[in-house]
Amino acid sequence: MPATRTRPHPVAVGAVLLLVAMIAAALWNSDESGTGARNVGATASPATAPGPAPGPAPGAAPAPGATCAPTVTNPGGRNNYRPRAPLDVPLGRGLVITGVVRDTLCRPLPGVPVQVWLQTALGSERENRTTVFTGPDGRYRVHSDPAVAQFGEPNVHVAHDAEGPWRAVFQRHVLDAEDTLAVVDLVLVPTS
Amino acid sequence: MTPVRVVGVVAVLGAAVLVGLALAGRHLAGAPTLVVVSTVAACLAVAALAVQPWLTRRRVGVHVRVGGIVAVLVALHVVALLVEDPDDALYSMSPDGPTRARMALIATLLLAVVTALGLLRRRLRWSPATWRFVHGSLAALVVVLGVGHALLIQGALDGWGTPVLVALGGLGAVGAVVRLVRVLRAPPPGDATPPDGGRVPSGGRTRG
Repeated sequence: MPATRTRPHPVAVGAVLLLVAMIAAALWNSDESGTGARNVGATASPATAPGPAPGPAPGAAPAPGATCAPTVTNPGGRNNYRPRAPLDVPLGRGLVITGVVRDTLCRPLPGVPVQVWLQTALGSERENRTTVFTGPDGRYRVHSDPAVAQFGEPNVHVAHDAEGPWRAVFQRHVLDAEDTLAVVDLVLVPTS
Repeated sequence: MTPVRVVGVVAVLGAAVLVGLALAGRHLAGAPTLVVVSTVAACLAVAALAVQPWLTRRRVGVHVRVGGIVAVLVALHVVALLVEDPDDALYSMSPDGPTRARMALIATLLLAVVTALGLLRRRLRWSPATWRFVHGSLAALVVVLGVGHALLIQGALDGWGTPVLVALGGLGAVGAVVRLVRVLRAPPPGDATPPDGGRVPSGGRTRG
């Protein structure tokens, strides 16, 4: 480029404007909480909790021919995952993390291990975890201290990670710090 | 007191308030040392970015030194998070990361480019107007995206930290826009900016 130009070179101006447009598009197309993450928090009872339930209400028999879309591991779902979490350890009080585990025919799955981990005021994601088993209605429940922001936003991880008849799946979703409830349902597919 | 000194005092006060709020808040209570270091580095970087555009006209030497400090602070912020929590840090820097992380990633990349432009100014042999426009507009993006990232982050700077961040971001953005407008307004005929080959006077006081 000539060294005596008194205005910026038009190519430079165009390149900068193009860059600004690309950045705007990249931000516009990003997910606020990360790809595949949704806000699963609530301050109400599980019956009014937000988030799409993948099947019928717990305890209700699925409609004939009903199918539930399998849960897919979302980006970040494995973050800070550690196998062999301590069994049924209370993580505090003030927040209940719960959900129903089903198969793709929407039938509740009892006795399935579910690991939950999250950052609270008393522990980071790496040390604050437990594994619980689903009850006869396929529901699991973990009591915890409220979630605190981890990398800019409170989030909770829920996974079925044990070897067995169901394929492992890892979920990362977000909630608000004041939420008292987080609902993460899982739909599992057989390993074979 | 000159306007630049006023801006400097505001930035120093802003940095002190941000660091004080972060260290006194509940979010960092009991947090790992690296998280505290990363947060403090980010607070200082935001304040330094706010003052940077105002140093380009008559205090280029200071501008260069503060630019180096910003680059080091941002690197410290990122590396501390990477060491402390590589899973979440790498996820945040991935294409699947949340919007606030994407803003930070883009701002960090642009900061590297802005710094490189500063270091390579002589070799590039661009006209002063072109160099200033590219360097300044990318730096303005760094300010906007960096402060936007800080505003979207929940945690250490919630509450009173938000207006302080907005004020510092506004200070930096206004300074950058003022400089860009001056660059884009061509001087009258016969008053063309002479080619300076990108030389930065060693005295630190020059017309920008």
